[in-house]
Amino acid sequence: MTPLLSLLVAQVPALRLPQVDYFALLPEIVMAGMAFVTLGARSLTRRGLPPAVWTLVTMATGLASGTLAVLLGRRVETHGAFAAVDGALAVDGFSVLFLVLVSAAVVLFALAAHPWIEREGEDGAELLSLGMLSASGAMFMAAANDLLVIFLGLEILSIALYVLAALNRRRAASGEAAIKYFVLGAFSSAIFLYGIALTYGATGSTNLARIGTYLAANVSTHGGLLLAGLALLLVGLGFKVAAVPFHTWTPDVYQGSPSPVTGFMAAVAKAGGFAALVRILFAAMPTLRLDWQPVLYALAVLSLVVGAILAVVQRDVKRMLAYSSISHAGFILVGVVAASAAGAASVGYYLLTYTFLIMGSFAVVTVVGGPADAHQDLEDYRGLARRQPLLALGFAILLVAQAGVPFTTGFLAKFYVLTAVIAQGGYVLAVIAMLAAVAVAFFYLRLVLVMYGWAGAGAGAGAGAVGPVGDADAAGAGEVVLPAGTTSLAGVGAGGGGEPDLAVLGGGGGLALATATSTGVEQAISGEGLVAAPEGLAAGDGDPVPFPDATKVVLALCVAFTVVFGIWPAPVVDFARHATLLFGLR
Amino acid sequence: MAQYLGIFVMLVLSTLFALVSWGMSRFAASQRPTAAKEAPFECGIVPAFEPVERFPVRFYLVAMIFIIFDIEVVFLYPWAVIFHQLGRFGLVEMLVFALAVVVAFAYLVSNGALEWGPAKRLRRVESPLVRTTASTVRKVPSSERAA
Amino acid sequence: MLAVTITIPDLVTFVLAAAIVLVAAIGVVVSRSPVHAALCLVATLFGIAVLFVEQNAEFLAAVQVIVYAGAIVVLFLFVIMLLGVDREEAIGKDPLRAQRPLGVLLGLLVLAEVLVLSRLSWPIGQPHVAGPVGGPSSNVADLARAVFTTYLLPFEITSALLLIATVGAVVLARRPPRSAGQPGAATGQPGRATGQPGGAIGQPGGATGRPALDGASQPDAADETGTVRSPEREGAPR
Repeated sequence: MTPLLSLLVAQVPALRLPQVDYFALLPEIVMAGMAFVTLGARSLTRRGLPPAVWTLVTMATGLASGTLAVLLGRRVETHGAFAAVDGALAVDGFSVLFLVLVSAAVVLFALAAHPWIEREGEDGAELLSLGMLSASGAMFMAAANDLLVIFLGLEILSIALYVLAALNRRRAASGEAAIKYFVLGAFSSAIFLYGIALTYGATGSTNLARIGTYLAANVSTHGGLLLAGLALLLVGLGFKVAAVPFHTWTPDVYQGSPSPVTGFMAAVAKAGGFAALVRILFAAMPTLRLDWQPVLYALAVLSLVVGAILAVVQRDVKRMLAYSSISHAGFILVGVVAASAAGAASVGYYLLTYTFLIMGSFAVVTVVGGPADAHQDLEDYRGLARRQPLLALGFAILLVAQAGVPFTTGFLAKFYVLTAVIAQGGYVLAVIAMLAAVAVAFFYLRLVLVMYGWAGAGAGAGAGAVGPVGDADAAGAGEVVLPAGTTSLAGVGAGGGGEPDLAVLGGGGGLALATATSTGVEQAISGEGLVAAPEGLAAGDGDPVPFPDATKVVLALCVAFTVVFGIWPAPVVDFARHATLLFGLR
Repeated sequence: MAQYLGIFVMLVLSTLFALVSWGMSRFAASQRPTAAKEAPFECGIVPAFEPVERFPVRFYLVAMIFIIFDIEVVFLYPWAVIFHQLGRFGLVEMLVFALAVVVAFAYLVSNGALEWGPAKRLRRVESPLVRTTASTVRKVPSSERAA
Repeated sequence: MLAVTITIPDLVTFVLAAAIVLVAAIGVVVSRSPVHAALCLVATLFGIAVLFVEQNAEFLAAVQVIVYAGAIVVLFLFVIMLLGVDREEAIGKDPLRAQRPLGVLLGLLVLAEVLVLSRLSWPIGQPHVAGPVGGPSSNVADLARAVFTTYLLPFEITSALLLIATVGAVVLARRPPRSAGQPGAATGQPGRATGQPGGAIGQPGGATGRPALDGASQPDAADETGTVRSPEREGAPR
């Protein structure tokens, strides 16, 4: 040791090494580590392994990570929330919920992407390991207790998604989507980073718990710096979750990206973004509630209204789902606006159910899209019920659930969000949200009717409820006739249990679970008269749509989750209630 | 700040030197441009074709790889400074970090991102008409040489 | 923090560096040639490095010069070369007419906001995380202690970021796969479309990237220089 060095060592205080609780980190370690292993294995195998290997590895990773997260949840239940790795990570009910959510998304992503990988001849190891890395980013975001960890998680999540968006190299749109996503995403990340800098300047820490303590102990009379930091943080996260003034990238990126990636993007990026948002606002800045609540209120209203209106005029199914995801973001923001424990739980529940809804939907879009994801127009779905009855049925259930029809998780999600905000006195917001839900439901139902051939469906459903929708659709392609949609929805709502298509869909869902391959479901439906009349199908007989096994599994999983926990909500709701156990929440 | 005075002086001097040399060549030299002088030249011959406008993407790849390893090395500097204090813990954490970069490196190698140059192309040509020094000499018949 | 008196050399250095940063930043935006813009960026980053030095953050200054001014701008230049140097940016006409005035307006607004904020007295929590600047130990050691203990987790997960960057660079620089001859080959049932002989879609797994990267071995990749990806050429097989 040189004299200089020994001098240095002598002068500095003793180094306090951080206590690393590896068990608390295990879900993230498994997820990121398996991505590393996958890439390493792919690099070392000269000839390459069949894609199924990578799919299975990814699924196993997701399952392992989810299981570990559940075990972690047990520990949180018995020992309470705690901080790990020198306060960088918070281990609480909230993070456990999102760890499970992201793990589930990874499993579904592997399944949904498998047919796409085989069809497009892409490299499964790259796609799936990028997916796993991205998921680990979302997990870090959800569990982060430090603004820097949130930022790094955000970057890991986003950069992997930029690459994933560009993976379909046979479509120019894919590259375009990646460029748009990258430029706007990098811009928003920079804004977020600037927000971190200002917040650090104002509070002297990047640690959320310490920021919370500081803000609780000190009243700032001139909080300009902190408010500016908060505003920039909100803008940065608003981009990621596609809330309305910051949503412009969403339709193009959703449309251009490979379909399974779009589903994954919608599920995981939203989950990560909202987890970070809730944690920053609820755990670090609850004292500034009066400052951020109005901003989020505006974001929620704008997202709800703009998402609903623009979703209705779309012809492209992926664009439609993009706008509907904006509308969903508005709903989740309503839960954030509630700024209560129930609000946090409803946000978690909404995102959990949304993950299954959107992953399943995009699994269907993947197989219907055909080579290079070319078939995305509404017309490509015409008569899907005859070409692939089970596929159409599963998609219909997921769409109807997204619309918020009772006996599905989609309904419960909206219900809990609205309950949370009404409990805080946000009646106006609740009414706006309900109206937006009705408007956006119009498109889901139109898509369902198109799949089943709308002429036949109008006759089959009988009640005047669905008639106006069919008329609106026939009147003009893409014309918004909101009153028509509204009345139809009112009809559906008023019909309640007596509405035939609801009963059928519920029963069909049960059947689909029991016999994923049998034709019994098809017969059950045709018995109810829901299958379209022949003249409706003759016009829209498109290409044959394959229905690979992996898609069957993912669709069955998503539909099962949606219907089973829609009818028997207790387990998931209880699980989400644990999300109220926020570390550092006062 | 005083320690940076040397650097500052150096900066000023180098700027001055650049400006002075540029100005000297501009004003002191006699300039009689002709078309031939203005044209781009290749060792005195007229260029046969326009210079290549685009670089292969592989340059970008190499630059990107360089940056990634550059950033890793940046983390190594401060680590080396307090390595003795961190002890085994520091070694492990840096190993974990380096492992990720090793995976990246293995991925690059397996993708052929670091394979360059004509060696590869020589290997690819598998026709019987391989030209080596030996085959070329043998293939030229003596009768043709006489003619 | 704010009570520290500012000495004259500090002030001069700051004003000079800030002037460099501002002028060069404007140069990045307004210069017509992308190469000039990149060089202006170097000047901006250099000015920021000087500001770092002035804040006693010597290590950051060195990193700024090595990584940003040295490596990243070189990467920018590579990309500019990749796309053709002499192609001037068409910054004359915007697709949206109101874009530019709005941008200027927004910039001025943000400037005003910054000025207003800088007049306010700021709440300051603990002033430093790594240790007092200019303390007993060196700047690098302070930074190292913060990075390798308090910020251990952020440091470790940075490695994932580097890995993603590598994979992303390779994936995006790869030439697009040929649609395996005719579109029909790729449109078949899943599981059958891969591995067409001669196509760039190799066996799924390890082999895909291999033929894609070396343009020279492609049968019709005569111009090795034109390896910029052009997906339109392939078209979406309908």
